Formats: sequence, C-alpha cells, structure tokens
Amino acid sequence: MTADDLLNSTRRHFLASQGMSLGSLALAWLLHQDHARGAPPKPSLERPHYDLKPKAPPAPPRASSMIALWMQGGPSHIDLFDPKPELNRRHLQNFEGEIKYDNAGQASAKLFGSPWKFQRHGSCGMELSELLPGLGSVADDVTLIRSMKTGVNNHGQSISALNTGRVTRYRPTLGSWLTYALGSESQNLPAYCVLTDPGGIPVLGVETWSSGWLPSLYQGTVIRPKEPRIANLDPPPRFRGTPQRRQLDFLDQINREHMESHPGETDLSARVSTYELAARMQTSAKEALDIGSESPATLKLYGIDDPVTREYGTRCLIARRLVERGVRFVQVCTGNQDWDHHGAITKRLPAMCRKVDKPGAALVFDLKQRGLLDETVVFWGGEMGRLPVVQNEQSIGRDHNTHGFSVWLAGGGFKGGYVHGATDEFGHKAVHDVVTHTDYLATLLHLFGLDHSTLTFNRPGGAGSLVDGQPARVVRELLS
Amino acid sequence: MFGARLSAFRNGMIALIVAATATAVTPTQAAPPDFEREVAPILLNRCLECHSGGEPAGDLDLTTEPSALKGGQSGPVIDRDRPDESLLLQRVVDGEMPPPKHGKSRALPAVERDRLARWLTSGSPWPAGRALDPFEVSTESHGGRDLWSLQPLRRPVVPSLRESANVSNSIDAFIRAPLEVKGWTPAPTADRRTLIRRVQYDLLGFPPSFEEIEAFANDPSTDAYERLVDRLLASPHFGERWARHWLDVARYAETSGYERDQPKPHAWKYRDWVVQAMNQDMPFDQFVMEQLAGDELPEPSESTVTATGFLRLGTWNDEPNDPNEYKYERLEDVVHATSTAFLAMTVKCARCHDHKFDPIRQTDYYRMAAVFWAGPIEPGPRELLGGPTRELLGYDVLGWTDLGPRPSPIHLLKKGEPHRPGPVVEPGQLSMVPALDRPMDPPPPGSKTSKRRLQFARWVVDPANPLTARVWVNRVWQWHFGQGLARSPDNFGFNGERPTHPELLDWLASELIEGGWTTKRLHRLIVLSQTYRQSSIHPRGPEYAREDAGNRAYWRAERRRLDAESLRDALLTASGALDRGAIGGPSFLPEIAPDALEGLSMKDKAWTPSPPEEQSRRALYIHSKRGLLSPFLTTFDVPDTTLPCGQRDVTLVPPQALVLLNDAFVHAQSERLARAILNEEPSPSGQARQAWRRVLGRDPRPDESAAAVAHLAEQASRFADGPGGPRLLALASLCHVLMNCNEFLYVD
Repeated sequence: MTADDLLNSTRRHFLASQGMSLGSLALAWLLHQDHARGAPPKPSLERPHYDLKPKAPPAPPRASSMIALWMQGGPSHIDLFDPKPELNRRHLQNFEGEIKYDNAGQASAKLFGSPWKFQRHGSCGMELSELLPGLGSVADDVTLIRSMKTGVNNHGQSISALNTGRVTRYRPTLGSWLTYALGSESQNLPAYCVLTDPGGIPVLGVETWSSGWLPSLYQGTVIRPKEPRIANLDPPPRFRGTPQRRQLDFLDQINREHMESHPGETDLSARVSTYELAARMQTSAKEALDIGSESPATLKLYGIDDPVTREYGTRCLIARRLVERGVRFVQVCTGNQDWDHHGAITKRLPAMCRKVDKPGAALVFDLKQRGLLDETVVFWGGEMGRLPVVQNEQSIGRDHNTHGFSVWLAGGGFKGGYVHGATDEFGHKAVHDVVTHTDYLATLLHLFGLDHSTLTFNRPGGAGSLVDGQPARVVRELLS
Repeated sequence: MFGARLSAFRNGMIALIVAATATAVTPTQAAPPDFEREVAPILLNRCLECHSGGEPAGDLDLTTEPSALKGGQSGPVIDRDRPDESLLLQRVVDGEMPPPKHGKSRALPAVERDRLARWLTSGSPWPAGRALDPFEVSTESHGGRDLWSLQPLRRPVVPSLRESANVSNSIDAFIRAPLEVKGWTPAPTADRRTLIRRVQYDLLGFPPSFEEIEAFANDPSTDAYERLVDRLLASPHFGERWARHWLDVARYAETSGYERDQPKPHAWKYRDWVVQAMNQDMPFDQFVMEQLAGDELPEPSESTVTATGFLRLGTWNDEPNDPNEYKYERLEDVVHATSTAFLAMTVKCARCHDHKFDPIRQTDYYRMAAVFWAGPIEPGPRELLGGPTRELLGYDVLGWTDLGPRPSPIHLLKKGEPHRPGPVVEPGQLSMVPALDRPMDPPPPGSKTSKRRLQFARWVVDPANPLTARVWVNRVWQWHFGQGLARSPDNFGFNGERPTHPELLDWLASELIEGGWTTKRLHRLIVLSQTYRQSSIHPRGPEYAREDAGNRAYWRAERRRLDAESLRDALLTASGALDRGAIGGPSFLPEIAPDALEGLSMKDKAWTPSPPEEQSRRALYIHSKRGLLSPFLTTFDVPDTTLPCGQRDVTLVPPQALVLLNDAFVHAQSERLARAILNEEPSPSGQARQAWRRVLGRDPRPDESAAAVAHLAEQASRFADGPGGPRLLALASLCHVLMNCNEFLYVD
C-alpha cells in the first residue's frame, strides 16, 4: 500500500463517516429536545428549520435539475433566433410604428435588417442564424420561444423579472426557490452553483444568485472562473480524516449551544450548514470540478481543444458534472454586459456566439447521450433582445428590447424541435402566444413538480412567492 | 364605421365635459384654473416624459407656450378659437394619451381631464415666459427636484416621548417615537461584555482582551461606558478602522488594473492621509476640499496634495485601444467617484443622455467633467500612470493637479460618443440644486490651475447643498449599524431608498454642520445612544420580526458577521501576533497559497511575500493589487476596487468555511496560540480556559471546559506522531475550533 492509497482510503473512510456525522447531529438535536422538555414551556413560537435534504415536490416532477446558460446583456434575437424577411426587405427605411427605446434621445428610426443568413435545421426545420451552427445541430431537442416579454427596458429590472419574478430588487432568485423547495440530491456539493465568467460578474452582481428574503442557506455559491475554482479544499495533512471530523463535531456542538441563545436566526444556522457542506466538499468538489477524467472526445465536443471555446466549454462541462452529481441549479454566466451590443454589433455578436454556441449545444447533446436530458432543463438566454432599428450609425448597434425576444430551453419536459410564439414582422414586439417572465417561471416550477400559487415562504408581512400573485400561466404548449 | 361611432362618442364626451364645466362656473366667464397649481402638474406628470427634450415624441414639445402652440407632426394641438376641438383634449379624452405602459392604461382621471378642458375653454392661459422643466417634479417613473434628498436641510424638532426612561440623547427620541406609536419597546440594554466587544470592533476593528472586558464589566462607575467610548475614539487604531470604510468608497487600490496592473507609487500615502484625517477628526468639509482640490487650496501642503490621490485611485489603462476615447473613460471614473462618494448621485448615467431617473441633465455630466478637464486626462507617458509630473505636483505623492489654468473647451458628446461632439459646456455644478447654481469664475491672474475643482468642492460643502451632509451622516450611521437610515448609501436619487427616519437623518446632518463638520462628535452621539446600546436579542423578537424582520424600526441591535479585515485582525489578536505598532507606511504583500497564483500571468507568479515580521500587521496594510486581491479577504466579501462601494455584501457560503478550516494562515494562528498557552498552562482545563479567554474573551462554562478537555485528550491520541508533539497539536485543534465558531465570527 502506497502513501497515496492510504490517503485515499482515509478519504473514503472520511466520506463514509459523514453519514454518521449527520446522524450524530440528529442525535444531538434529539437530546436537546429531551433536555428542553424539563424546561418551562416557552411561548409557542415555531422555529422553522431549513436544510438542503432532498424533498419530494407535491406533484410528480419532470425535471430534477437545471442549468441556466445566462447571457447577460441581451442577445439580439433578430440576428440569432427570429428571422424577419420584412425587416430585411425594408433595411434602412424608416420605421413608422412607435418604438419604446431605452432612451428616445439616442434612437434612430432606421430599420436594420439582419446581416446574417438564417437556415433551417433538424427534422423540425427550425430557422436559426448562421451564427449558431452548434444550436442548429441539436435543434430537434430544443424549444425555441420567440415571444418572450418582460416589458421593462432596463437590464437590472428585466434580470430581476426573469430571475426573481418581479422587477423590484432584493428578491430570491429561481435557483434559491428550487433549492428551498426541493433541497439537493447532493449533500456533498452546493445545491446552487454559479460558474462566473473570467470577464466579471453580471451587472446586478451577487444579486443575480441571491436568496433575497429566503434563508441565506439558499444563496448561490460562486465557483471561481480560474483555478483553484474552490480554494482551500485540502486540510493540512495531519488534520485529514478523523482529527478534522472530531473538530467539526466539536465545532458543531459549540455552535449549537450558541444558537440556543440566539433562537430563530437563520444566518447562524446557515453558517453551521456551510461547515457540514464544506467538510463534504473537501473530497467531492475537487472530483466534480476536475475534467481530467473526461474522454478526449468529450473535451473536443465542448470545444475544450480550441482556445476560443475552451474557457466557456470547460464551464459547460463542469455544469454537466455538477448536475450529474445531484446539484439542483447551476448558473453559467457570461461576463458583465457581454451581450449588450449598443454598438459594433457586427463584430461583437459573432465573437460572443463563437464563444458560447458550440459549448451550449454540446451540453444538450452530451446530457442526452448520457440519458440526463430528460430530467435536466437547459436554459439559454438573457434578459432582453434588441430593437430592429439602428442605434448608432457610426458603429451599428441595437438598443434594448424587452417587448419581444427569444430564449431556448431543452430537456426536463420541454418539447424538442418546437418553436413557440412570434414577434411582429420587425421583431419588435411579441404578438403571438406571448410568454411573460411570470409564465416562464410558472412553467419551470411546474416541471419541477411545484405550483407557483402554492410554493410560498412565510415572511414578515405575509407569504412571499416567486410569481407573487401576478398573472402567470403554465405554458403547456411548450411541454412534451 | 366603428371609428366614426367612436369619434362621435368622443365629441359627445367633450361636449359633456365642456358643458359640465360651463355649468360649474359662472356662465359668462369660466374662471381659468390656476396654471401653476392645477395645469402645470398635469403637463409635468402626464405629458413631459415624452413631449420635451431634444427630440420630443411626435415633435410635440409641451414645455413652453410657443412650442405648445406650434404643435407637432399632427398639427397644432391647442386650438384657442375652438378650444373643445383642441387635439390635446381629444387625445386625452380618447384615452389615447398618455399611451398605455406595460399594458396598463394611463388615461387621465376624470378630475384632471376636466381641469384640462376647463383650462382650454378658458383660453389656455400660460404665464408669460414660464418654461416647464420635466425635472421640476417627480413622476411615477422618474425623480425631479422635489426628491426628498434635494430639499433644503432644516433642523427638525426632537420628538417628545411618552416614556423617556432609558433615553440617552435625541437619537433615541427620533427612534423611539415611531416605536411608541406601534406600541413597541426597544430591546433592553446589552450587557457590558457584549457592549465592549461591539463598540471596540466598531471603533477599532479588533476585539478587546479578556482583561479589558473584565475590567469594563466590573467597573462600578456609572460613566464607565462613556469613558470607554472616549478612550476608543482617541485611539490611533480608530483611524485605521474608519479609514477602511472610506477606502471602499474611494475605490482604493494600489495598482492600475488591466493587463500590466502597474503599482501606483505612493498610493499608501493617500491611505495614511485618510487614517490621519479620521484620527484627527478632520472636519468633513475639509476632508472633501482636500480630496477634490488639495492642490488648489490657498496654502497647499504635501498632505493636502496627497489627498488629491482620491482622483488618481481608479483603474488606468496604459494601452487603450483608442486614446481619445479613453480620455472620456477617465473622466467618467473621476465624475463617478466624486458624485457617488460625496453626493450619492449616479451622475455618470447622464454621460450619454439626460438621466433616466434623476434630475441630472446630460449637460450636468459635462459641467462636472469640465471641472476635471484641466487635469492629466490626455494620455501622457506611461511612467506617469495618467498623473501629472512630479515637478508640477510638487511632492512625491500620488496626486492630481491641473496641467494649466485654461484648458481647451469641453464639448458635450452626443450619445456620449467622442466622435460626435455637441455644444461646448462650461464647468459648473449640478443644476439639481438651483439655489447654488451659478457660473464658475475664471481662474485669477497668475493661477497655475483652473480653480474649477476648488469651486466645485466649495459647492459640495456649502451648507446649503442638501446632499453632502445627509450622505455623510448616512454613511456613518450605516457603518455603525449595518444599514443606513437611507438604505442605499450610494444612491439618494429616485431609485434609491427613502430614509426610514428622514427627520433623524436631517437632524444628524444639521448637527454635523452646526458642530463644525466634526465626525467624532457624531460617532460619540451615535454610540452613546440607547439605540446603539440595545441588545441584539429582544424578548418579543419573534413577534416583532414578523412585521419588521429588516429591523427598519431599530427595535434591537443587529448582530453582524465580522467583515474580512476585522476577521483577519481578530485571528491575529487571538494568536497574540497582531502587530499594532506602526500606524501607516507602505503596504505589505501577504503570503498567498501557491494554488491561488496558478492561472495568473507570469508576472503575478513572481509574487514575493513581504518578510514574516510584516505578515502580522493589520489587514488595512495588505497590498491591494487589483489583479490579485487577497483571496482570504475577497472570500469574506471585500469588494471589487473598480467602482466605489458604499456597502459591502455579506454572503454566507461554504468557501468561507473552507478558508477558516484549511487555510494555512488560520492554522498558523491556532498553532501560535496553542504554543503560547502550552508555555503557561500545564493542565488541560487551564489550557481550555486560556483558549476561551484568548479567542472568545470569556471563561468557558463547566460543560464547555469538560468537552474541551475531552477533545484535547482524544486529539492528542490521534496526533501521536505529529510534528510539534501531540499536546501542541491537540491544543491547536481546540483553538482552531474556537476560531471557527459563530460566537467568534459574529458581533452581537
């Protein structure tokens, strides 16, 4: 037996013993209950307990995990997903309708046809831009929604709408709701992981994965864009195995006594949970984040052999490894405002597509070939699309458009090879089968076996929910 | 046909309205509604969002009488001969204007519609020369000059309370009055052990020793707390703690960022200037003046020029793609830093167009940009890092000064684009404070600088500027309590949060100004208040929390997680290693784990940590390299240094647990503490007691002590062959656990 074998066996032992450690926590809690029984009755105040143990949803789910490829900034739907022959015909003519610009003062009324060609893909014949050959290759597995609408023309508000159900800030994000409602299938990895871009975090910062007023336990954990993706995974050698487990048990005991004097404080208990998880992550995270064991074919599939796609491809592959291991929600971000093409769109849009198209399609393909796509939702989209008119004549760009834009989804119960809804002849406003942010969120919850009208959190001043009483419809046409 | 019917219906409606109006007033002459009181608000609120500005919707500009009479693309909209046929009225009655938004009708309520009809039928009188300004008033979608934060500061009357027991000063009256209305009581006063830990972390940034805690807890005098506060406020470490807050706002870092990330020589002198300013209780007006115009003051000194480093702290790109364009990026940095830090206004949003939410015109942005235009904005030699030469500056500091007294004119840029210059804009103040809006003077003869920054700084600190004092006292309050009275410290505009206690904010701001802008007086007022001294645990907490979980009413103290720097300093305090000797001086390079250096450029790999004796200095002195911020600090939410940051995030994630469990720095501290204890204490229970005292500042309870002794024995058996001996490692393990526990990480 070599030293490494020994270490590995200790690790295995450590892994195995974690279950016991959880048991010991439970026992401690029970003992505490016994002890408390002798004490005078306290006012009846429910002390809610929050954890990440897997929970069964009220209805049978279609999906169990989700990967959101989050294209912050607003990819131009009319150049990528939504061909508009009439717009192309009237290229550079004046647009006669009313347009809501991000800023009226900046706007031009000159229509701008898409400089890119569209082609049909798959047996479904989905029309997609030549900038998205990768997506074309998986078109038959994809639901393309061409009629998304949030109707608020700012990045922050529209991001909040799609992520949290309302345009207002500081609300819990979708990933927090899913982990709150369903816990995680993995007790060894954060239930809600965020893979940020080396180019910076999205414009709303940590709010993009905030738990808002849900307990802190449900916030997203950022996995760094460069090595070490999670730092400090190794204890000093002498603490590995049993000594550290003893430490953690003792720490837990001390923290529990402290919490007794601070009843009902969810941040204290959330911090205790981070230790339980951190201890388990020491062995599991490194393995989950290491793509070294993937075959050359897989690496090539995600474009990891190509400098252009290597970085984003690696994160997409890691996302697959995470959901494979039971992580509930993974957000894979592009950089701050990377898709906000107010200018130089003919250069910047293709560059972004080259970075993300192949890896995103590879993710769908790979999940499918592993039998995981059925239960994994893949989302691709940003908080808005772009206007059909020129924003900047010196360096052509397009302004914000949240009245009609496109996103695509695959897996987890979404219908393959299906195009839903339509914008008007210029791609300006969603006009047929409009899907609002609340419809979109209600549909996702539905696929996870959850009901947007009953999934609530009791917060001061009344129950809070994702859709928050706004009109919302499960868009059944999107589902297989 | 349908259209015709609708039109007939509409004409009928107008006739009805006009008739109704006519019968309501004397038949001979309808009394015209008062324009200012009754008509202007409708136009401002309902119409001008679109029908004003450079390119008004439908070419219809409703801001002045001539432009309104001229009409737009659809012709005249006011028909003075046949008022009831005025297009303005027809569109409004149709509900066509204002147009629906987000699918919701915005049709005028009947009372406003009637008023418009009455105004039109009475000849649509418009006071001569009156120009409506969309920024006059707030609407549903944007703020005007009637924003709360722009109202003149008036000292409010201190409310009287029914129950004045346990009230220390006026702060308590302002906090207590609304609590009384709710029938709520504040939390009881925190016990002394809690209080000294809270106030010392707050004022100095590291915990008191066990001995200090005990001395305070057992001090029989009634003014023990007051004396404690005075001692802490006088400590040189006070400035170290409070400088850190300001450095976040000032986007402080010591390198330039971008590819090369060059060090900014002498940046630390700016940091030390802030420390000294805090320690010496520099009046806040002077604090502002020196940072914006320390070189333009009547008697500049090395210290005041050092303060202008504020303008040099932003990132700096030595290889911009387009040097001309980059000038404007740099202007944006100084405009943004200045307007955020001192005014909590997002002026930079007006670089390309009038501000979408606040009364900030695009010209306001360029007025402010013109203030800095005379400085080293043009690309210069790489060695100067975007600064003036040493000769021009006069001192070896990272400072700012104008390159001459009369810079070329600055043009407004259409859509913010450098290749689309618009009209010339003169330097000036923000027009949102009309009372103080006047042209700037040209520099006096012989002046080496434009004196624009000096004039702008004087405007900032003018007691009649409604923002500056409010913004500063709000920041100070937030750094004491975790949340500001207005909970958006960097945004006092339309999208910011209105204060929870507006009168208290104004009272504190008045106090600041009337007290000669001294901040220590403000600190003293705050920490001596009962509001500050209350316990974080309220007997009726769960009940109150159901209504006010965010503690917006201040019914208890907020328990807070240690910030990154305090945590590092606390670990060093517990181990006994914290070097508090030297206040100031060049920063040190911390030891950084080799894996964190992977993936960095070759240059960063050559990271050479400072010698061991410097590693135990306070976290304030850690070299702030933009490309490689200390992973320990960033894991605990030290902000990005690109932009000003008035409030840090507080996250709670497993990577933090991993740092505290496994990081070599933390292990070094637990081992150092173990070694010290082992030298003094032979018995395991004595060792446990020392560990509790050093890390948590208290004695262990008997059950804790027994558990600790058992832990020591068990761990010692595991560490039989470990380096340093089993007893040391077992004790280190115990200390390590205490350094990880919630009691250590949180301040009650």
